[in-house]
Amino acid sequence: MSSFSKLNFKIIFHLMGLLLLVNGGFMLLASILSFAYKDGVGSKMVLAGIVTLAIGGLLMLLTRKHKKEIQKREGYIIVTFGWICMSLVGTLPYIFTGAIPGFTNAFFETMSGYTTTGASILNDIESMPEGVLFWRSVTHWIGGMGIIVLAIAILPLLGIGGMQLFAAEAPGPGGDKLHPRITDTAKRLWLIYVGYTVAETILLQLAGMSFFDAINHSLSTLSTGGFSTKNDSVAYWNDAPIIQYIIMLFMFLAGTNFVLSYFAFKTKFSRIWKDDEFRIYAGSILLMTIIVGLVIYFDADIVASAVYPQVWGGLESAFRHGVFQILAVVTTTGFVTADFTSWTPFLTMFFFGLMFLGGSSGSTSGGIKIVRHIIMIKNGILEFRRALHPNAILPVRYNNKAVHQPIVYNILGFFILYMLSFIMGVLVFSWLGLDFRTSLGGAASTLGNVGPALGDLGPVENYAKLPGAAKWWASFLMLIGRLELFTVLILLTPFFWRNR
Amino acid sequence: MKIIIAGAGEVGFHLAKLLSFESQDITLIDTSRESLAYADTHLDIRVVRGDATSISVLKDAQVANTDLVIGVTSSETTNITVCVLAKQLGAKRTIARISNTEFIENKEEVGFTKFGIDELISPESLAASEIELLLNQSGFNDTYEFDEGALTMIGLTLSRTAAFVGKSVKEVGTQYPELKYVPIAIQRYGTQYTLIPRGDTLFKEGDQVYFITTKEGVEHIYRLTGKVREEIKNVMILGGSNIGHKTASDLCKSKFNVKLIENNKDKAFEIADDIPSCLVINGDGRNVELLDEESITDMDAFISVTGNSETNIMSCLVAKSKGVKKTIALVENMDYFQLSHSIGIDTLINKKLLAANNIFRHVRKGEIVAMTILNNMNAELVEFVVTSNSKVCDQVIRTIDFPRSAIIGGVIRNDEGIIALGDFKIQNGDRIVVCCLPQAIKKVEKLFV
Repeated sequence: MSSFSKLNFKIIFHLMGLLLLVNGGFMLLASILSFAYKDGVGSKMVLAGIVTLAIGGLLMLLTRKHKKEIQKREGYIIVTFGWICMSLVGTLPYIFTGAIPGFTNAFFETMSGYTTTGASILNDIESMPEGVLFWRSVTHWIGGMGIIVLAIAILPLLGIGGMQLFAAEAPGPGGDKLHPRITDTAKRLWLIYVGYTVAETILLQLAGMSFFDAINHSLSTLSTGGFSTKNDSVAYWNDAPIIQYIIMLFMFLAGTNFVLSYFAFKTKFSRIWKDDEFRIYAGSILLMTIIVGLVIYFDADIVASAVYPQVWGGLESAFRHGVFQILAVVTTTGFVTADFTSWTPFLTMFFFGLMFLGGSSGSTSGGIKIVRHIIMIKNGILEFRRALHPNAILPVRYNNKAVHQPIVYNILGFFILYMLSFIMGVLVFSWLGLDFRTSLGGAASTLGNVGPALGDLGPVENYAKLPGAAKWWASFLMLIGRLELFTVLILLTPFFWRNR
Repeated sequence: MKIIIAGAGEVGFHLAKLLSFESQDITLIDTSRESLAYADTHLDIRVVRGDATSISVLKDAQVANTDLVIGVTSSETTNITVCVLAKQLGAKRTIARISNTEFIENKEEVGFTKFGIDELISPESLAASEIELLLNQSGFNDTYEFDEGALTMIGLTLSRTAAFVGKSVKEVGTQYPELKYVPIAIQRYGTQYTLIPRGDTLFKEGDQVYFITTKEGVEHIYRLTGKVREEIKNVMILGGSNIGHKTASDLCKSKFNVKLIENNKDKAFEIADDIPSCLVINGDGRNVELLDEESITDMDAFISVTGNSETNIMSCLVAKSKGVKKTIALVENMDYFQLSHSIGIDTLINKKLLAANNIFRHVRKGEIVAMTILNNMNAELVEFVVTSNSKVCDQVIRTIDFPRSAIIGGVIRNDEGIIALGDFKIQNGDRIVVCCLPQAIKKVEKLFV
């Protein structure tokens, strides 16, 4: 008997139904905003919400007699199809309101939302109905929420990702059934996530943003998404440095492991400082800030203008834009205050490289992630010693613990797969007619869920001009990048579907 | 003194042997009929067969009026259980042998005395600290410190270059009057018995000589015996057993460069995880090529502590042939001990002997603070505290009727080591280190206690 028929499809569909219910609920929430701002699409938003709720309710009703058993295979399917499913129904508000014409465009925009990429095909964001813009930011926020529980609770069980390193208390890979404690952990971390979002909204409003802009930017900061409500993104507030500093702070927090935030609230600061990943994350951002800030100040041609109002002087402005862009790219948020491709050739290359860095594990950021780089570099250095002592046991040490070699292999495998996916991404993009810089940047940016790329997809451009096929390909790259490659790609392997 | 020993393994048997020489009242408990039969026929003790954790067995051994219960079976939990039970059943003191050194480190915190265990002894950590001491006194093959080094016992083999050779004790004394040391025991090359040196005893080449000396004396002895204090930096340890692990971790803390070779991959990983500064090699230590690859020739010391005595001896011989200056081998078989000099290994250690010696000092009456047994010799080194009731109190040494087979090595007064000669007057509160052969122990005890 093939494994296909053995899969517990009922629970898969049941959970898809549940996801749709949640999404439908948020659509109705967006419609409330729609009515409040009288943008004229309220009734259509309600319709989208009701359709989503109906589909979800029907799915759940039909599969209510399911066995409560999730094996690893179902786990992979649920995670991947969960994201695809959400992206499919997430297009409904765009289509029903007519805000984004065409299914391809709508799907790209939704996938970009749920994967917290922040790449947009909208040419004139400011003309959009408020309800639709809010829904757009909410897709980020839901995606970020999903990623937290995914990274901290589900992926370790499926044996993917660097989190088994971090969460010593998390049940290691090996247990076949998903652990009930997931809900417990997830609830606490979501509380922090919601708390940060509320805090940022309040702070942004105090700093002078309108409520609507504040809530939208908070939703997309904490999820490290990057959708803005302005055509100029955060550059719109270049004359208000305070707003940008607040966003920077929350980008940094969103790119930090949420479990560390939890320790911070429990005032266990020593555990935060002892965390290798956090130290490297914070340290490298500081170091890069100094380099980039100095290069911008001395080499780049930023003159005070309407685009760069140097409110607090040239030096501050150079460093502010430097840090902001570093944080935006490292945490894979992708907000824009300045076009990093217009500074110097060195900085263009520098930021292209940063797209491969990624934030911390257990955060909402995408990319390769700091912990993997740490392990790979440490392992690389150890290879020299291993060459001298072929029989020595020289484990990579992370957080003062020896890392078991299979985990190192897993990380090396991930890196290779990431690079192969990137190369495939570039090849397909260029085959579809994109130029060299655009292909490279587009693949790195979508795979790392950053948003802004190079060339035609640079920080001040958008993805609207991509051919249709390229949009689908970009959506696919965003999806596999977001779900740590293995989760999605394993579904494409023949042995996944073969004998159990 | 009535003593119960639980466990007739090597430690238990060795203890029983040492104690029975002093005609203590000993009961040995074990489940193995064979080891009991062996002990029964070889020693003058009483044996009880059964599980030492069984209350009826303990009662049968008359635990209620026992002075000391010693748990030395191979199982740590059994030893702890025996001690706890015995204490509740009326034993006065208890000693348990354990293997988890955490217990010793957290002795106060856990409060072992509260639930009935007076002393904890870990042969593994004793062996580890013995090894570290030997590495620090690299020229000697046996050392023991009294009162944190106020007086030190050192053992060494006289080589031809030593200034002592061919001279009598008295001659050496007059030739080097500034010397702060006393020779306390000599074992002639190729013989098995121990001499207590007198004025006319000659030092001969190849003698294993034991000295008691003060802090400054150590340097003198180095110079006069032609021994060089080797600066030991690079150490190779063979075997990642408990002793190997503990030794590596102690040595790494003391800034030695440690390489540890362990055959079992999981064990090797565990040690590498635990001691980051130690280079752990996964491989078979009997493979000479592997030793070469890990540059054994650059090592200053080689310590072999695998579970197999023969492997340890052979690999130490390999190390010696590669020019390693200091070799230490762990040996289970006590008969091999006699051979240590003739086979050319610097020091043999035996964790069971160490444990037995350590336990042995608890058997002595309360006034004895420290004691050790000279490696592979049958002499004992005992530290007494002089009280006003002691016969020797306020006496000049020359006037004391001291047995021929015992000698006063030194005196510690106000934490300072003194080499006591004939005209020294013993005072109340002095701590006196005496070296004596077994037949003299009773007599010496009477003088001091």
